[in-house]
Amino acid sequence: MFKEFAQGLWITFKHLSPKYRTTVEYPKQRLQPSERFRGLHRLVLQHDREKCVGCYLCPTVCPAKCITVETAENDKGEKYPKVYKIDLLRCIFCGYCVEACPVEAIEMTGNYELANYKREDFEFTKERLLK
Amino acid sequence: MVTLTIDGKQITVPRTATIYEAAMQAGVEIPVLCYAKKLLPYGACRVCLVEVEQMKGRLIPSCTTPVTEGMIVRSSSAEINKVRKTVLEFLLVNHVLDCPVCDKAGECDLQDLAYDFDCCSNRFEGVKFDLPKDEVNPLIERNMNRCVLCGKCVRVCDEIVGYGSYSFINRGFETKIATAFDRGLNCEFCGQCVSMCPVGAILPRPFKFKARPWQLKEVDSVCGYCGNGCTVTFGVLKNKVETIRFNDKNGVNDGNLCVRGRFGYSFINSKDRLTQPLLRKNGQLVPATWDEALAAVATGLQQAQAAKGVGILAGARLTNEEFFLLKNLAKTLGTENIDHSGGECYKGVTEGLLATLGVTASTGTYPQVEDAEAILCIRSDFYETHPVFGMVVNQAVKRREANLFVISDKKGKFAKLPGAKTLLTKPGTEVNVLNAMAFVLLDENIAVTEGVEGIAELKAALAAYTPEAVEAQTGVDAELIRVSARRMVAAKCAAILLAYGVPYASQSREIAVAAANLALLTGIAGREGSGLYLCGEKANSQGAIDLGILPGSGALGSSAMLAGQVDALYVIAEDPLSVYPNRGALEAALKKIPFLVVQDIFLSPTAELAHVVLPATSYAEKDGTFTNAERRIQRVRPGVPSPGEAQADGAIFAQLDARLGGKIAYTGIEAIFAAIEPYREIDFSSIGAQGTVWGGENLSLSRRKVQAVQGQSPVDGLVLVTGSALYHNGTLSTHASGPNAVEHEAYLEFGREDAAALQVKEGEIVTLKGNGAEIKIKVKVGQRLPKGVLFAPYHFASAGLNRIWHGAAVTPVQVSK
Repeated sequence: MFKEFAQGLWITFKHLSPKYRTTVEYPKQRLQPSERFRGLHRLVLQHDREKCVGCYLCPTVCPAKCITVETAENDKGEKYPKVYKIDLLRCIFCGYCVEACPVEAIEMTGNYELANYKREDFEFTKERLLK
Repeated sequence: MVTLTIDGKQITVPRTATIYEAAMQAGVEIPVLCYAKKLLPYGACRVCLVEVEQMKGRLIPSCTTPVTEGMIVRSSSAEINKVRKTVLEFLLVNHVLDCPVCDKAGECDLQDLAYDFDCCSNRFEGVKFDLPKDEVNPLIERNMNRCVLCGKCVRVCDEIVGYGSYSFINRGFETKIATAFDRGLNCEFCGQCVSMCPVGAILPRPFKFKARPWQLKEVDSVCGYCGNGCTVTFGVLKNKVETIRFNDKNGVNDGNLCVRGRFGYSFINSKDRLTQPLLRKNGQLVPATWDEALAAVATGLQQAQAAKGVGILAGARLTNEEFFLLKNLAKTLGTENIDHSGGECYKGVTEGLLATLGVTASTGTYPQVEDAEAILCIRSDFYETHPVFGMVVNQAVKRREANLFVISDKKGKFAKLPGAKTLLTKPGTEVNVLNAMAFVLLDENIAVTEGVEGIAELKAALAAYTPEAVEAQTGVDAELIRVSARRMVAAKCAAILLAYGVPYASQSREIAVAAANLALLTGIAGREGSGLYLCGEKANSQGAIDLGILPGSGALGSSAMLAGQVDALYVIAEDPLSVYPNRGALEAALKKIPFLVVQDIFLSPTAELAHVVLPATSYAEKDGTFTNAERRIQRVRPGVPSPGEAQADGAIFAQLDARLGGKIAYTGIEAIFAAIEPYREIDFSSIGAQGTVWGGENLSLSRRKVQAVQGQSPVDGLVLVTGSALYHNGTLSTHASGPNAVEHEAYLEFGREDAAALQVKEGEIVTLKGNGAEIKIKVKVGQRLPKGVLFAPYHFASAGLNRIWHGAAVTPVQVSK
């Protein structure tokens, strides 16, 4: 019985050694998320404008209804999103918007540091999403 | 009737039906691209192929094949689906795949079919179209890269609109839809092609890139422009009317609309709308609260009623319920000086009809005109005042070969219809021609005289109106008068159409009586399938007449009120200063009226003179009913909330009534409707998608008495006639960007001969003098007008045409550069 007790404690002590430590000392240390991680969205740039053509599929598919798109015609007669807004407080990071996009104009990045102080700061406008 | 089997379902359909129509009736869905209910079968797309047991070995296009007895049809099978998919693949070879930026996506027939038939890849390869887009005009955008050559636009423009703007050009793979010489569109801009296009090849430009169809809330209502009463379906996004949606299920217009109905909605969202009451303080109109404004109106009206009296002038764009409340308000005030737009025109028409037929409305309904064998239009402007009714006439003439006769002072659109005969009169002499037609009927003993009173008197009075005498006077060929009179009486079903409104005030009683005489002598009035149609200029002109928004006996009519014979004038939804005859006198009179209240949606020139201005709501913000020109009562539903503090006219009347001591309050639209006496037999809840026609399909006459009326002698020299322009209606449409995009300012139209004689060119500014006034106006040269006749539309306040036009049918004028 003592043997089993020692064996059990050994596992406990083993995990005290730095080799087995799983805690990450954030923010001194940051993990690299996987490539398929679904963090903050990004709008893709193409030449001088966003790649987005304003097809409205992302706001349509969004289960949380957090995407606002308003389209207009630019000088070249092309359709572009005059307004593109994501309300991050509502977003559930499901990634459907990325999946629905016919032109791969929206991606999800590895950025998971999304805490903020004010509600307004959670509204990601086109300009912020293009960065 | 023919009985056939479709997918195992047995169905009995009329002999004239096609397999597709039978399938629809049986509830079997067959995919289509080129089929439209209102167009003739065409068979262009080959998507609707079906198998017929009796015609084995090949597939049959269901939309063009008539049914036969005992037919056994299969609407889908592995083979049919394979063929349909191949057809779609062929279409998609050259079709650009820009669904993400195409506004049609979401309601595109091709997209839906590609999805249904799983067209993920294409076995055929080809170069995608790269044709130039027509983005020149501001209303209709054409992108022929997306066209599937179904020909619906070509057909609707030809069969229904009767304009023929489009056709197929080139051959084979190069085939495309284009206008003459492949230039930009220059047409009526009714947008029928937009509504028909199954793909995104023809789109409404004002709605370009605004929203997706599935985001829009659809509200069925009735168009607020002319008296035709077309159903419009607002496409509402975020409390804003963004577009008018295609809807052929409701109403009487089959989804047909004109430029005003389809593109004239933008005034609803206009920034210039009145949003709060205005009160005149120290000579300036300043914003006030509703309480202040209503208190001012109540005291002002009460004081005036104690003195010379109050006059009420309402526009005919109010709902029936609002007219009822207005009438209540007038009763509370104790005034009978109440009239509605059109000045004396409506009064004249109503009196004329009452004296002859004993009714004050059209005696038939629109669908009957489609089957009419002969149609007589009084004024070619008829197409311009009521374009969608005009489309019904087009169909009667083009499809059923109806004989069309037009009595008019210009050769308008109707004159170009196949077989149409224009009785081109000198302006203002329509009554003479109508009298001559009545003379022919009586002279040749072909008139229907049974049960008609006053024949002998009429015969005696018409002695001077022999066709020859009238020819000498009006210039209309005597033989043509005879032919048209004979044809009108011989036709089994016939229609007489008469438009009326503000610009047609002159001789309105005479024209109404002469038209009614003819309707009686030909037997048209009161006969099944035939009718005399009186088409009011505004959305609820008929409602205003039904509800008696007319001066009581001995009370003042609009012209007396506007001449300043009252101490207070309450003007609702009307802008007399801009469009009523004789602006100079009007201005002076209105300035002298001690208390002027204007209730409108814009700060009109009349409102600028007011002591109190009350902000009201447009038809898109109202709840209630309109009665159209064929007596159809239809529901008007609010699509958007009213801007700012603006209130519905009815709510304003109710509040004023309460302040003035009125005792009755109503709980809602339904309660008000139930109290409307002339409509007491109609249950509000029974007014369905098609509306309810009061008085039945053919109104029975309460009297048949012909009366003699005298025509006018023509005015020699250069004369001006005014009227409605196709793109506008009243002054309301001049606030809408759609109609303004086509025509945004007043013009003076010359015939080619006059233009050459006076050496004026299109676009030039000339001085027009007449009746002691002169205005500057832009020249337009057209082919409609005979020599010596000039035309100017009356809608535009800025041109000041009503300084020259004093209400007469013809105004002698001089033109100088």
